[in-house]
Amino acid sequence: MAKSQILAIDAGGTMTDTFIIDEKGDFVVGKAQTTPLDEHIGLLNSAKDALSQWNTKMEDEFPNLLAGVYSGTAMLNRLVSRVGRRVGLVVNKGMEDNHRMGRGLQSFLGYSYSDKIHINTHHFDPPLVPRKWTVGVTERVDLFGNVVIPLYEHEIEPAIQKLIDEDVEAIVISLLHSYKYPAHERKIRDIAEQIVAKANKDIKVFATVDYYPVRKESHRTNTTIVEAYAAEPSRKTLENIDTALREAGTNFDLRIMASHGGTISIKANELARTCVSGPIGGMVGAKYLAEQLGLKNVACSDIGGTSFDIGLITQGELAINASPDMARLVLSLPLVSMDTTGAGTGSFVRIDPNYGNITLGPDSAGSRVGVCNPKGGLDTVTVSDCHVVLGLINPDNFIGGVIKLSKEKAYEAVKTQIADPLGLTVEDAAYGVIELLESQLRNYLESMILGKGYSPSQYVCFSYGGGGPLHTAGYTKGLGFEDVLIPAWAAGFSAFGCGAADFEYRYDKTLDLNVDDRAEDSDILLAGRELQAAWDELKKKVTEEFKKNDYSPEEVDFRLLYRMQYQGQLNDLEIEAPISAFKSVNDWDSLIQTFEETYSRVYAKSALSPELGYSITGAIVRGVVEVAKPQIPQEPLFGETPPVDAFLGFRKIYWNGEHLQAKIYEMEKLLPGNRIDAFSILESTATTLVVPIGFEAYLDENRIFHLKEIKE
Amino acid sequence: MAKTLTGVQKKKRGIGWDGKTLKEMRKEITEISKETGHYAGLKTLPFKESDPIRFEKIYSKLRGGVVHARETAKKVAASPIVEQEGELCFSLYTPEADSIVTSTGIIIHVGTMGAAIKFMIENDYEDNPGIADKDIFCNNDNHVGNVHTCDVHTLVPIFWEGEVVGWAGGVTHVIDTGASAPGSMPMGPVQRYDDGYQVTCRKIGQNDVLSKDWLLESTRSVRAVKYWTLDEKTRIAGCHMIRDLVLDVIKEEGVDAYKQFMREIIEDGRRGFVNQVKTMLIPGKYRQASFVDVPFKDLDLPSFAKLNTIIHTPSEITVHKDAQFEIDFEGANRWGWHPFNATPVSITSGIWVMLSQTLVPNDRINDGAYYASKFGIPYGSWFNPDDIRSAHSNTWHALVAAWSPLWRGLSRSYYGRGYLEEVNAGNAHTSNWLMGGGYDQYGQLSAMNSFETSSCGVGASAVQDGISHSAALWNPEGDMGDMEIWEILEPLIFLGRQILPGSGGAGKYRGGNGWQSLRLGWGAEEWTMFVAGAGVMATDCGLMGGYPASAGYRFQANKTNIKERIEKGLPIPLGGDVDPDHPTYEENMDAEVVYRDRQAVSTQEQFGDYDVIMNYLRGGPGFGDPLERNPKQVEEDLNEKYILLRYAEQVYGCVFTEKNGVYTVDLQATEQKRKQIRKERLDRSQPTKEWMKGERKQILNENAAIQVKHMYAQSFALSEKFTNEFKSFWNIPEEWMIYEDDLGVPTLGSRINRFKQKKKQ
Repeated sequence: MAKSQILAIDAGGTMTDTFIIDEKGDFVVGKAQTTPLDEHIGLLNSAKDALSQWNTKMEDEFPNLLAGVYSGTAMLNRLVSRVGRRVGLVVNKGMEDNHRMGRGLQSFLGYSYSDKIHINTHHFDPPLVPRKWTVGVTERVDLFGNVVIPLYEHEIEPAIQKLIDEDVEAIVISLLHSYKYPAHERKIRDIAEQIVAKANKDIKVFATVDYYPVRKESHRTNTTIVEAYAAEPSRKTLENIDTALREAGTNFDLRIMASHGGTISIKANELARTCVSGPIGGMVGAKYLAEQLGLKNVACSDIGGTSFDIGLITQGELAINASPDMARLVLSLPLVSMDTTGAGTGSFVRIDPNYGNITLGPDSAGSRVGVCNPKGGLDTVTVSDCHVVLGLINPDNFIGGVIKLSKEKAYEAVKTQIADPLGLTVEDAAYGVIELLESQLRNYLESMILGKGYSPSQYVCFSYGGGGPLHTAGYTKGLGFEDVLIPAWAAGFSAFGCGAADFEYRYDKTLDLNVDDRAEDSDILLAGRELQAAWDELKKKVTEEFKKNDYSPEEVDFRLLYRMQYQGQLNDLEIEAPISAFKSVNDWDSLIQTFEETYSRVYAKSALSPELGYSITGAIVRGVVEVAKPQIPQEPLFGETPPVDAFLGFRKIYWNGEHLQAKIYEMEKLLPGNRIDAFSILESTATTLVVPIGFEAYLDENRIFHLKEIKE
Repeated sequence: MAKTLTGVQKKKRGIGWDGKTLKEMRKEITEISKETGHYAGLKTLPFKESDPIRFEKIYSKLRGGVVHARETAKKVAASPIVEQEGELCFSLYTPEADSIVTSTGIIIHVGTMGAAIKFMIENDYEDNPGIADKDIFCNNDNHVGNVHTCDVHTLVPIFWEGEVVGWAGGVTHVIDTGASAPGSMPMGPVQRYDDGYQVTCRKIGQNDVLSKDWLLESTRSVRAVKYWTLDEKTRIAGCHMIRDLVLDVIKEEGVDAYKQFMREIIEDGRRGFVNQVKTMLIPGKYRQASFVDVPFKDLDLPSFAKLNTIIHTPSEITVHKDAQFEIDFEGANRWGWHPFNATPVSITSGIWVMLSQTLVPNDRINDGAYYASKFGIPYGSWFNPDDIRSAHSNTWHALVAAWSPLWRGLSRSYYGRGYLEEVNAGNAHTSNWLMGGGYDQYGQLSAMNSFETSSCGVGASAVQDGISHSAALWNPEGDMGDMEIWEILEPLIFLGRQILPGSGGAGKYRGGNGWQSLRLGWGAEEWTMFVAGAGVMATDCGLMGGYPASAGYRFQANKTNIKERIEKGLPIPLGGDVDPDHPTYEENMDAEVVYRDRQAVSTQEQFGDYDVIMNYLRGGPGFGDPLERNPKQVEEDLNEKYILLRYAEQVYGCVFTEKNGVYTVDLQATEQKRKQIRKERLDRSQPTKEWMKGERKQILNENAAIQVKHMYAQSFALSEKFTNEFKSFWNIPEEWMIYEDDLGVPTLGSRINRFKQKKKQ
């Protein structure tokens, strides 16, 4: 019988999924309606559903669980639908309009190229904090941390009182360059807390410097507001879930998936970074799987219904974007760096009436699939319709037969909308759409890897997500990846990733340490001391966080990172420090050397500019502690020939100008050691792996398919 | 027969296709395109038609690659103008300099870089200085077709087996080019020789390496060297990425396929544009005009430039029955001794920037569209000077004014076709440009040009308000950027950023609002500042009853007592100048010098710590009669401080009650008041014919400001057609005329003059 080890929870807006993984890496998925008012109810129902598939119960299995990770969309929904708390904002006097003005770029964030230049489509979302709940206090500090205008303390009380009178539920304080000079923000914070206490109110006060002490005020302010507006209200929910789980027999500290790719405690200081959705889980899972398989460099690719997400793991590390955007807001969270393009299996396919070219997306059919779905009510062709026309997916067994698709409807729609205008046969048109999609994805993947200064031959490509394996051969073809891997559990990969995430805190701090080329030793040492002081400060912060879950500093594995650029540049590179502490001038040399190696790889050697001098622009500390993680399946090897019961028969498909009989296999019934040649389609409930001409697939002992291009 | 010298020279194999020279290729492509009406004479598109998928694959690879090159390369830059504002652009050309695909960004430079390559071809660069694989060329010469000196081009030829298969071009807007005043669009230059360091299509590197003499000379010729240097590295990095991309495509697809592709994609762009015109517009003529002030009389300039005048730009869009698109600027007035002149390439390329935001908002735009259209640019006018002495450093001042009416022309057509969402009452005059330079807070010689102006208000459409503080004509992806980033570059502290009530034009749908920022001098060793805006005239114009956006002005105070006030904890000027009729800045400080006036362009003056200067970023024009605006929207605008109370009452005819600073509109009283205003309008009105009679009398008596007379005199002197139309419209006798020479204004440089030429004859 299974022995449950890891619980991963994915609470969506409508459904809550639970994944329970056993000691062999097998897992079950449970589903139940999300109960937004008391999330733990839906969660427990979902867990019950999952365990029933192993014929067991919560009371028997919950005490066995070693770890539990939660990820949910409640916070993101609160943000997107603007139903967060009433937040008051204190800023520099004269800047009260700055938050609602947003940043100009927030009026086209997330737009397609065409809409970005199409001015009449731009729009701003309403600000998180309306103008009437924004107050100003006179003060200014310059970028070096010099006080230009001291804090006008007499203005604080009336300003805070105004917010209290407006009945705000939280107060955020954000002053310019506070990351450099925190005293003024903290002074306002302390006075505000006193006033709030005196007024006998329950209003939490957030100074940006206590949360995100990094440059760029709109990013820092937005993120701290998200903390107050959407994240803090989640704290209570998480506590309730934690309590409910403990009452149901668990004995672990519930953790939450966070934007930096690790998990954090529900008691963490900063919760805004848990406001992430789906794709990160896959990246984290890929990182863990790569570690288990001993792979250093991995290109992750995930095709869903609406988008193609790609990200890189280089030298075993996820790349981090320090100023990302989410929900059309610029933020200062560390977010696992991923590139997304609006091309997925549900993307609409059209012929531009004036230019006569095929356009893919950027909009998509989502869960409505395509014209082939008689209940979808769609009349525009999607990529899925082309799959149906070509025979790549079984219309009678889509998502395990939940939706019956109509091949005739797909055929008719592709004919009139795509094939006839282009003067192609229906099959050639459908094939052309797939070819174009895959070629765009391939370019995208290649340019991302080249753009980071690497080549695909240095990477293993992982493909997962519901739509990924169908196109893996197409979008990896000819790129020369070292290997192409598709875990047989591809569709549940994101949840696997949640379960596999490290327990990790990461804190960032902006620095401005300018050191000229061939500087005096004294200057170098001065800068080094400041860098070390920042690392020490952040280490302390990480230590404090782990203390909340009773970890001692000795149990924490600390990693030091720094951000560096040439003086005056606006983009820095995040680099793991080649030193464990800054002690001497030699340490400076190794920091520079590591920076320049990375720089010349990313931007070409000609862009090296040592004559400008160097700037360390940030210090970062990551702290990780050991937690239980899922096992990767390990099964005995069988022969190359797939077992007879895995073979489901033949299906007629169209491929590159030919009608072929494709062999159809049931993915779950294939055995490790099996080798599957072209043309084969491997079907499972939630995903389809296509092995086209020129490729073969091999299933290894970890239940991972290797898709191999056969050299002719 | 003995070989002649020319015969021998001719035998030297060209670097173009099949041994042709680039000059021969250029000539052929121009001629055959003109003869046939199809780019490269392509009446059919055999590649695209027979293999549309492969064709599209090549397109998406090139297009994606060029965009990616821009995104990656821009991270090398230090200048917030490039990195934060995205003022850079890359484009891929045919060997003859027709553009194939272009990145995002300031796409006006598709044309200007093309002009530079054409200039090199025309001047036989192939022979001398030679065009070889891995060469690097640089250009920023205004008279070669650049927009203005600060747009610096890097051009790299792409070779395949000894043949030129194309060019990669990259441009960035650099912070300083060593002009007579600091900043990228300085005020002060009135001649080419003041415009700064101009590089005329010069070979600056070989074997992918820049020459030392170039590096030394160029960095000694500009102020903000660090930014100049990293901008150049950005451009080169991007061009080399594009070169690699093209070579990669050729390896995959074969050179013949690539050559065929480049021809067809341009013809495809031409056809697509024609189809867009057919879909969106109605054949006919659309006429409009723009005016922008040049208030130079009191500036510290040579006497012949000290003149208040107006730049006049009438335009006529013709949509022909066959969907050919034509814009004629006949009647535009003369170039002048100011830095607002332009070249034909910059005005036509800029029109593409505008059209790509409205008529053809897609990624297929390339030089094909250029082959589907026609422009009339009068010689001797401000955008086609007949004199190499003309200055261009702040050409956008005039360009943004000249383009605004074109939106109205197109919008009338959209309105007629029912595309109400596409209607746009016009672009804002994207100013002020806040500039300066000197030894900065790091003690380094530097310069600044605030690009907050990339976030002006947008014109209203026929269904909703224009959006506020978000865009500029020259870059729809506008962004005012973070103050903390600007303060890295600029030795000025922000004292405010605030939306300016009433700055968007009133209307049934109001124009997007503009805003202001206030800056305090701080920390520079030595610094000067100046402004470049438009303060006297409304350069845009509302549409179908909408109002223009409000005009600009300047505010600056030197030698203030702000330091003392800070020490005492007293109020100081902060935020925007919310109601300029009831200013508060002056109440909160004393200053030896205060400029609060319409002199919105100035030349550099010393600027010290605790001096203050305001930057005003303008709003967009409105659409429709303000009396038709939903009173609830007026109420919201009032409470959200997008409009001042007295204008909500007078212009929108609304009546409010107020409680605790919150206004509520009285719907019934508003209806009454609007009725009353309509009645007053009727009482005030007169039949058009009568009004014209009165105006005609004014014209005959030459009863107009000297600036207006001067402006018309210049247009008359340049264009007989314009003169005749003017006279026939107003029914003015043949003998009536205004001559420049009779106006007592400086006329240096007025060399083209049809009256004088007639006399000479």
